[in-house]
Amino acid sequence: MRRHNVFGLLALAVLATLTVVSQADALTGLKTYKLVTVDVVVTPSPAPVGMFGPAKPSYPNAFPAKTQVASSSTLAWDVPPGDAALPQLIAQVSAQPTPTIPVQFVAKPDPNAQYLHVIPHEPPGGFYAPYGTTKFTCAFEIYTYYTNSYKLQDWGYNTNKTAGASAGTYPIENYPAQSYLSWAVPDFAATFTPYWNQGPGGETTWSGAVKQAQQHCVDLTLTVPNSQPAGSYTAAIEYALYVTLP
Amino acid sequence: MSGDVKRTVTAAAAALLLAMLVPQIARSAPAQGSAQMNWKVLPSVKAQVTPNYLSGYGPQGGLGSGVTPAAGPSASLQGGTVDFGNVVVGYQYLYKYAAQVAVQTNDSAGFVVYGEGATDLNGSNPVPAPSTYPIFSTLYWLPSNASNSPFSPATSFNKTGGNPIAGGANGIDYSGTGGVPSAMSMIWTSPTSGNVTQGYDYQLRLSGAMPASQFNVYIVYTVIGN
Repeated sequence: MRRHNVFGLLALAVLATLTVVSQADALTGLKTYKLVTVDVVVTPSPAPVGMFGPAKPSYPNAFPAKTQVASSSTLAWDVPPGDAALPQLIAQVSAQPTPTIPVQFVAKPDPNAQYLHVIPHEPPGGFYAPYGTTKFTCAFEIYTYYTNSYKLQDWGYNTNKTAGASAGTYPIENYPAQSYLSWAVPDFAATFTPYWNQGPGGETTWSGAVKQAQQHCVDLTLTVPNSQPAGSYTAAIEYALYVTLP
Repeated sequence: MSGDVKRTVTAAAAALLLAMLVPQIARSAPAQGSAQMNWKVLPSVKAQVTPNYLSGYGPQGGLGSGVTPAAGPSASLQGGTVDFGNVVVGYQYLYKYAAQVAVQTNDSAGFVVYGEGATDLNGSNPVPAPSTYPIFSTLYWLPSNASNSPFSPATSFNKTGGNPIAGGANGIDYSGTGGVPSAMSMIWTSPTSGNVTQGYDYQLRLSGAMPASQFNVYIVYTVIGN
């Protein structure tokens, strides 16, 4: 009888544990998520830069001040003779309709903006980053609110976990490589953390209590290694709001 | 004056006249030679722009909005409008095969293509306050590529510094800006002559501050030979 009691109690304990765990999983759900894009322009160059005036154009002037007639100079041809691809040359600019593209969209309000929205502070043209590590203070702000308790989680979007095998490029990269883009919420901590690049699940940005509205700046640091070519890059970060279900 | 003297004077005058005329006759005689003629042909540059230029055109993205985007009714294959349809504020979209620019030129120095908004985005239904929203940092372009996504690097369209004609439907008058668009609006340069094309996708990045409305804008392309 005592052995049966022990087994019975153990079984009850296991059952209770499983019930609690399964209920804990069921108590949270994804309410909404937003993708934040960060455009960075890596500016050349790590090497010393010499300043030069612009080179004179090497192509001929189609409208010279003096017309050159019967010259034996090495004047270049605007239109090389005998170009089989262009047998009919027209020596004048012809009138034609102006090429225009009409663009249209209907912007609808986001019903979930009351729970989660992003306030971008990206300058026109993106964040300019020289080689080395650069800090972007309050690159964007995030607002969260919910009627129950909640948590905000983030992860790098363009990795091979979310965007195909060819993803995972600079600056988020793919795990186990570490992201060159890091974040911090100075209202909570000054420590910068490389963005999670192992796919959904991510890391907790902050948590909120029942009916707690909060808006915080997110600071970024970007490290540009010398091996990174100059150019424009975009990082996409997903912010997901997980809420405690009633 | 004697007859001999008269004959002598007459002969001398005739000789003098002959001496004057012979070189002239010699100079007007036919001659042959060669000359190298070099000239410059004014460049001819023609361009056409085709919206929705490939099958499969239309919007994608809006991840998290709960709404799957679809091209609006004004879009049609190789015509119509680049119509993103219904999009949700706060999300990002990619419009595949939005526009194709075709250029024909005999200018061996090539050409430059500019593309910019004739205006900011005009809100109409309902009319927001203010009635326009900046095109800059909202509508972007990027060369068409199968791997493009709503989060691919792209370049923002600018609002023109010229005067839109008929709201941009008939282009832009650049006479007040030196006859050319801003260098910031350059989207393509080609160093050679020939018949060439380039396709573009558009990106829409809707800031959370954008009001709900129908928005329209004309993107005007200008091609200038080098």
